[in-house]
Amino acid sequence: MGILNKAAAAGAVFVLVAGSAMAQGTLKIGVQVPTTGSEATYGRDMANAVVIAQDEINKAGGVLGKKLTMVIGDSACDPQQAVNAASKLVSQGVAGVVGGYCSGATLPTLKIYGDAKVPFVITASNSTKLIPANPGNAFMINSTGDQQATKATEFLASKGVKTLAIVNEGDAYSQDLANLTRDDWTKAGHKVVAFETANKGEQDYSAIVTAIRAANPDAVFWTAYYADGALLIRQLRQSGYRGVIAVGDGSNSTKLFDIAGRAAEGVYAFSNPIAQFLPAAKAFIKTYKAKFGNAPGPYAPLTYDGMRLLAWAITKAGTTQPAAVIKALASAHNEEWLAGPITFTKHNTLARSNFIVLEDKNNAWIRADK
Amino acid sequence: MSLLDILAHQLLNGLVLGSFYALVALGYTMIFGVIKLLNFAHGDLYMVGGFIGFIVLSAISSVVGGGWFGIFIAMLLSMLAVGFLGVVIERIAYHPMLSAPRLSILITALAVSLVLQNTALALTNGQYTAFRSDLGFGGITLGGLFITYNQMVLVAAAAVLMIALEFFVTHTQYGRAMRAVAVDADMCELLGINVAAVIGVTFFIGSALAAAAGTMAGAYYGSLWYFMGFLIGLKAFTAAVIGGIGSIPGAMLGGLVLGLLEALGTQIPGIGSEWKDVFSFAVLILVLVFKPTGLLGRSEQERM
Repeated sequence: MGILNKAAAAGAVFVLVAGSAMAQGTLKIGVQVPTTGSEATYGRDMANAVVIAQDEINKAGGVLGKKLTMVIGDSACDPQQAVNAASKLVSQGVAGVVGGYCSGATLPTLKIYGDAKVPFVITASNSTKLIPANPGNAFMINSTGDQQATKATEFLASKGVKTLAIVNEGDAYSQDLANLTRDDWTKAGHKVVAFETANKGEQDYSAIVTAIRAANPDAVFWTAYYADGALLIRQLRQSGYRGVIAVGDGSNSTKLFDIAGRAAEGVYAFSNPIAQFLPAAKAFIKTYKAKFGNAPGPYAPLTYDGMRLLAWAITKAGTTQPAAVIKALASAHNEEWLAGPITFTKHNTLARSNFIVLEDKNNAWIRADK
Repeated sequence: MSLLDILAHQLLNGLVLGSFYALVALGYTMIFGVIKLLNFAHGDLYMVGGFIGFIVLSAISSVVGGGWFGIFIAMLLSMLAVGFLGVVIERIAYHPMLSAPRLSILITALAVSLVLQNTALALTNGQYTAFRSDLGFGGITLGGLFITYNQMVLVAAAAVLMIALEFFVTHTQYGRAMRAVAVDADMCELLGINVAAVIGVTFFIGSALAAAAGTMAGAYYGSLWYFMGFLIGLKAFTAAVIGGIGSIPGAMLGGLVLGLLEALGTQIPGIGSEWKDVFSFAVLILVLVFKPTGLLGRSEQERM
C-alpha cells in the first residue's frame, strides 16, 4: 500500500466518523440572557434552568434524534450588546432561541431574529412594548403587566370584594398597573371608590389612610414597591382598617414583612410563577439545588419551560424549518408546563395569565390561589 | 366616616406630623438664631439619629425589650451621639467659615448634607432598613376617632422635649447667653460670654432634637432610609419660616401649623394626597411673600 492509499483510507475513515457524527448530530439552541452586568444573577439563573432542561431532554433521546447543545449570547441587559449577541447566535445557525430578561435589551433583538426567521421563546421580558414589535416569530411566556391587572380583578372579586381603593406611587410602572386595574375592575362591574397617588420616599401616609378610611373600601390594592407599601400597610392597619390588602409584584419581596411586621399578616401579593410555590416544580428545585448549590431564582421555572416548549415544538414540527417550528409553537394549547398551561393569543402572548397569588401567613409567603 | 370624623382624624394626623416637623424645625431655627446659617444638613441629622437609634435599640432590645422604654433609651443615646456629631460638624465645617461670606457657609452646609447622605447610602447600599420594635397597634376610641397609644406617646414626648427646651432657653444661664448671642454676637464677646461655647451648645441641642425626632419616626413608621431626611428637612425649614425663623416658639407653632395645614389640605375635594408637598411649599412661598417674618418672628435685630 502506497502512501497515497494510506492517506485515502485515512480520509475515508475521517469522512465516516464525521458522517456518523453528523447523522447523530447536535441541535444548537441559543440562550439570550445577561451573564455580565447588573442583572447577571438573573441571567445565570436562567441559563442554569436551560442546562437542566437540556440535560433532561438529551437523556430522553434528544430532539429529532439529535442532542441539544446550548449557545449563550450575553445580552448584558444592554440593547447594543444584546444586538451583538443576537447576531452571533444567528450566525452560528441556532434552531431557536430562549431567554430574554431585560425588556429594553430584548426589544431590538426581535428584528434580528425576525429577519433570520429564528423562533424566539421570551421567558422573562414582559413589557407590553414588545408586543407590537414582534415580527411573529417571538412567543412571550411571562405574563405582561395588563395580565396582572386581570389576575388582580379576578382574585379580589373571588374574595367577595365589591369596592376597591387603588394606591400607586406616580411612577410609570405603578401608575400603569393602577390604571389597568381600575379599567379592569370597573369593566367587571365593580366600583373603584378611591384612587390615590403616594409621594415616593415619604414616611407619613396618614392623608391617604384617612381618605381610604373615609371611602371604606372592601379592599386596598397597592401597585408600587415594597418599601413604601410596607409603610402604607402598617399605617392602614394601625388606623384600624380591617379590609383586604393586596400588593402588586413590585412588593412581593419578603422585605415587606421586615418593615410592616405583623401588620402584613394576611396581605395578598401577586407574583410571577416562582418555583417554591409551584406544586409541579418539586423535582426541578431538587435537581437545581443539587446541580448549582442554591435555590432556583424567580425566572428559572419559566426559562426551563421555554427550553422544553421549544424542544416540544421542534419535535411536533418534525423539522427545524423555522416556519414549521413557529407554527408548532403557535399551536400550543393548554399543555401543562411547570408554571402552568400555555396557550398563545394571536399576538403570541399568554392567553391566560400565569401570575400566582401569595398570602402572608406568619410573615412567610404561602400560595393563596388554587 | 362622617365629615367630622375625617376632620378629627386629620387633626390627629396633623398633630403627629407636626410634632416631627416642630422638633426638626427647632434645630433649624436655633442654629439660624446664633450664626444666621440655614443648616441644610439638619434634615440629615434626623436621618442619622434614626439610624443610631435603631442600632442602639437592636443592641439593647434583648435586655430592655423593644417597647417604648427601649425606644426611649435608644432615643436618649441617639440624641447624645448626634448632638456630639452636630458639635463636631460645627467645629470642622462651619466654624472656620463664620467670618466668610454667608453664601460660603451655606454651600458648606449643602456639602455636609451630601457627605451625611452618601455615607448612609454607602453603609446601607441604598436599601431600606426595617426598624424593628415591639410597638403594638392598640389604642382608644373616642367617638369616631381611633387614637393609638403610639400616637399619644409620640405627641407627649415631643411636647415634653419642647417644654424642656423652652425652660432651658428662658430659665438657665446658657439659655440667656444663647438669646444674647442671637441678638448681638460681637457684643456678647465683648462682655465676656464664650460665644464659641454657646454656638456649640446650640448645635448640640438642635442636633439632639433632630435625632429624637428621627428615632421616634423610625420606630413609629418602621423603616429607615438614607434619603429620609431630605424631605423633612425642607418641611422643617418651611415650618421654621412659617413660625418666624429664629423664633423658638415660632418653630414649635410653625411645625404644628404646617402639619395641620398638610393634613387638612389633602382632604379638600379635588386636592389628592399627591398634592401634599405642593401644598406645603405653596404655603412657604405665600408666607415669604406676604409675611416674611412669619407668625411669631419680630424685626431683624430681635431674633430668638
